[in-house]
Amino acid sequence: MKSIALKYFIYETAGIYLFAVRFFKELFKPRFEFNEFLKQCYTVGNTSITLVSVTALIMGLVITIQSQPAMETFGTESWLPSVVSISLVRELVPVITALTCAGKIGSSIGAELGSMKVTEQIDSMEVSGTNPFKYLVVTRVLATTLMLPLLIILGDTISLYGAYIGVNINQNVSFHLFTNQVFAKLDFSDVLPSVIKGLFFGFTIGIISCYKGYHTKNGTEGVGKSANSSVVVSIFAVFMIDLIAAQVANIFHIL
Amino acid sequence: MMEKASYNKEAIIELINLKKSFGNNHVLNDLNLTVKQGENVVFIGKSGSGKSVLIKCIIGLIKPDSGIISVFGNDVSKLSHDDLDQMRAKVGFLFQSNALYDSMTIRENLEFPLRRHWLKGTKDTINDLVLDALTNVGLADTIDMKPSELSGGMKKRVALARTLILKPEIILYDEPTSGLDPVTGKEISNLIVEIQKKYNTSSIIISHDLSCAKITSNKIVILIDGTCYATGTFEELNNMSDTKVKQFFD
Repeated sequence: MKSIALKYFIYETAGIYLFAVRFFKELFKPRFEFNEFLKQCYTVGNTSITLVSVTALIMGLVITIQSQPAMETFGTESWLPSVVSISLVRELVPVITALTCAGKIGSSIGAELGSMKVTEQIDSMEVSGTNPFKYLVVTRVLATTLMLPLLIILGDTISLYGAYIGVNINQNVSFHLFTNQVFAKLDFSDVLPSVIKGLFFGFTIGIISCYKGYHTKNGTEGVGKSANSSVVVSIFAVFMIDLIAAQVANIFHIL
Repeated sequence: MMEKASYNKEAIIELINLKKSFGNNHVLNDLNLTVKQGENVVFIGKSGSGKSVLIKCIIGLIKPDSGIISVFGNDVSKLSHDDLDQMRAKVGFLFQSNALYDSMTIRENLEFPLRRHWLKGTKDTINDLVLDALTNVGLADTIDMKPSELSGGMKKRVALARTLILKPEIILYDEPTSGLDPVTGKEISNLIVEIQKKYNTSSIIISHDLSCAKITSNKIVILIDGTCYATGTFEELNNMSDTKVKQFFD
């Protein structure tokens, strides 16, 4: 049983790798599906704004409220805005945004492509003279890759506002003072790595979800499985990338 | 086996010693067939006998293990991607599940192959072609609807309109009447004959529906064990004493 699971894991990993290689090959071939790409950017970006914003606001608020008592104990509560903002921008917002998007976008792409596969819509596209990989996969993966960093930047901003609200629950700190304290410690080298991580998160979520949807089998039952495994594998991959990023950060002291 | 002697038209599709297997399942086994200009050939066979695989091989969606598929005199398996696209512009394919794009309106569904194969058309010309294709199947008023708003029969008609919009010379129908009530099934069958007469198309029709086969066919091929077991008109096959053939007509 274990060997079957291991074989399946290796088979799937190799499949996703080859799928990603094909993505880069198709990406540079002519006829870029610009309209579909814009449509996917709207779907991935615009429709995730509310979810990402609410999640980021709550996260900023909660982290600040929970950190405040501990920092008061050590008499370092004046550091609260800068400590919380660095935690949020460097780690928490990118990961939580990626996990939120893995759930929302990953399941959506997996189910959409899966149902297109089982209802022969992908075959129909091919017969209509369209390269379905370019039309469906390249556009979606590019959209997730480009939109996730933007969502992370939005999440960073809103989470900082959440932190400001959190600080003001027990203290009276002006917005001007709060931002001064935040940006005294937080600089571009904190934001850039989270954006770079966002590119990798977005690419990974897009590739895995498209792979799962594109290779759906066994009718409608398979569509459900594809949507489910898109989310599960994407979440696992997000954590793996975050772990690797942390190791790289240790080596280069930048991320 | 019992092909009508009156056929004396140009061969438009030719299958020679076609073989296709999935693992140990030999779906197509040395299959030979010729379809001539203006001819409707209906394939009958048990489920899983390789009928859908056969037409997917013809359109280049599945590669055969061996053999030759000649469409308009070109070997499909040797065509480059661009040549295959050009060939596909002249071959319509009606999918069993209709394969209408759920996220698009009926107008966008019909525009999709046009924009792919015929990019030079102006907006008005494309609009006229879409309306004309929908009028041909009696569904011009559904142009701004989504596929989910249509009944099974209407979806089939729209799928047929999308197949016809590029004015194909060959149409491949994968079970055009499956899932439809007998009345709608008969309407679709009559529509297939109308299309054949109007556009002088050649067709391969995969069907389990004998009434569809009777209405639409010039020739029926019975597919058993991956080969053309018997060929003839509906009446010829219906009168055969062979038990394997008889089981389809009883």
